Amino acid sequence: MSSAVPFWRAAGMTYIGYSNMVASAVRKCLKEPYRSEALGREKVHFTISKWSDGKPEKPTLRTDSAEE
Amino acid sequence: MAMAALRREGRRFLLSPNPSPVLARSAICSEESSPIGVRGISTQIVRNRMKSVKNIQKITKAMKMVAASKLRAVQVRTENSRGFWQPFTALLGDVPSVDVKKNVIVTISSDKGLCGGINSTSVKISKSLFKVTAGPEKAVKYVILGEKGKVQLMRDSKNRIEMTISELQKNPLNYTQVSVLADDILKNVEYDALRIVFNKFQSVVSFLPTISTILSPEIVERESEAGGKLGDLDSYEIEGGETKAEILQNLAEFQFSCVLFNAVLENACSELGARMSAMDSSSRNAGEMLDRLTLTYNRTRQASITTELIEIISGASALTG
Repeated sequence: MSSAVPFWRAAGMTYIGYSNMVASAVRKCLKEPYRSEALGREKVHFTISKWSDGKPEKPTLRTDSAEE
Repeated sequence: MAMAALRREGRRFLLSPNPSPVLARSAICSEESSPIGVRGISTQIVRNRMKSVKNIQKITKAMKMVAASKLRAVQVRTENSRGFWQPFTALLGDVPSVDVKKNVIVTISSDKGLCGGINSTSVKISKSLFKVTAGPEKAVKYVILGEKGKVQLMRDSKNRIEMTISELQKNPLNYTQVSVLADDILKNVEYDALRIVFNKFQSVVSFLPTISTILSPEIVERESEAGGKLGDLDSYEIEGGETKAEILQNLAEFQFSCVLFNAVLENACSELGARMSAMDSSSRNAGEMLDRLTLTYNRTRQASITTELIEIISGASALTG
């Protein structure tokens, strides 16, 4: 890991994004009964909207995409 | 006109000064179809009211059941997730009193209502936290999770809202989801200290409004040089070729996502608990109301029956006598 750090940091990823990618790689290595169970824990769903000048911008939906 | 007036004032009709026989007759005929009786008080309204109270009671009971069954699953996960932040607090400490320039208050609330006062509690705590941290040359921003907190904070501090997030609880909460969210917050918000406000779950009836503070790596370094609890950080051995700053940055990011995960779960758990107790007390209130209405209804019914009996008996005795 220590050698990989500068690279993903340079790509604009945070540690969270990096660990998520690693985690999903590990989940994909699992065998079947555990695999689908573990993949079920990867579901992402929320809406996020940034605010500027006291008004919300159009909300964006983040769904089922662990990485950007 | 006169007829309508008579119908409306059916009760006073017998006492009116000069009722013409024709009008009086039609008034009596219309009496039978109209719910407003001459003698008895209509029980229709009370009956309808009772029915609606009964329906409301059914709904609140069902909501209580749903909340109770959901709570059990979430509670286990919440208690397990406490293991996430405890090592971080042991390592980095929790310094709510730290004085920094760029504060971000992360208010956690629920998307749905009908769960007692937990949303207003976290909003209230956020507002007082804002007052404590705000000052000249200091920026305080809000990041709000959940619809209800957004609605409440929009009223007076909409200019300080940086981001709002909702629909987090559509699927069961998982770490991936929260960490993606934490990633988004970290990338879009500049901060020196993140202060997460949430309701910590204690039991089904008690929630502790809690503040967790997460410092940015630079501030952690500054604080650790200043000594105090963070001063012990140097006694840890760092493996690999990374510098302390890199390690701290990774740690701070990971700490934020872990603490946020725990906070979101704790808040979801408190929400369900609060909803359970709120629905419990509202079905109890509906029951009390129903008792009162039933009493009124029966009493009125009894009174009208008594009146009718008296009328029949006195009519009969007038005929025989």
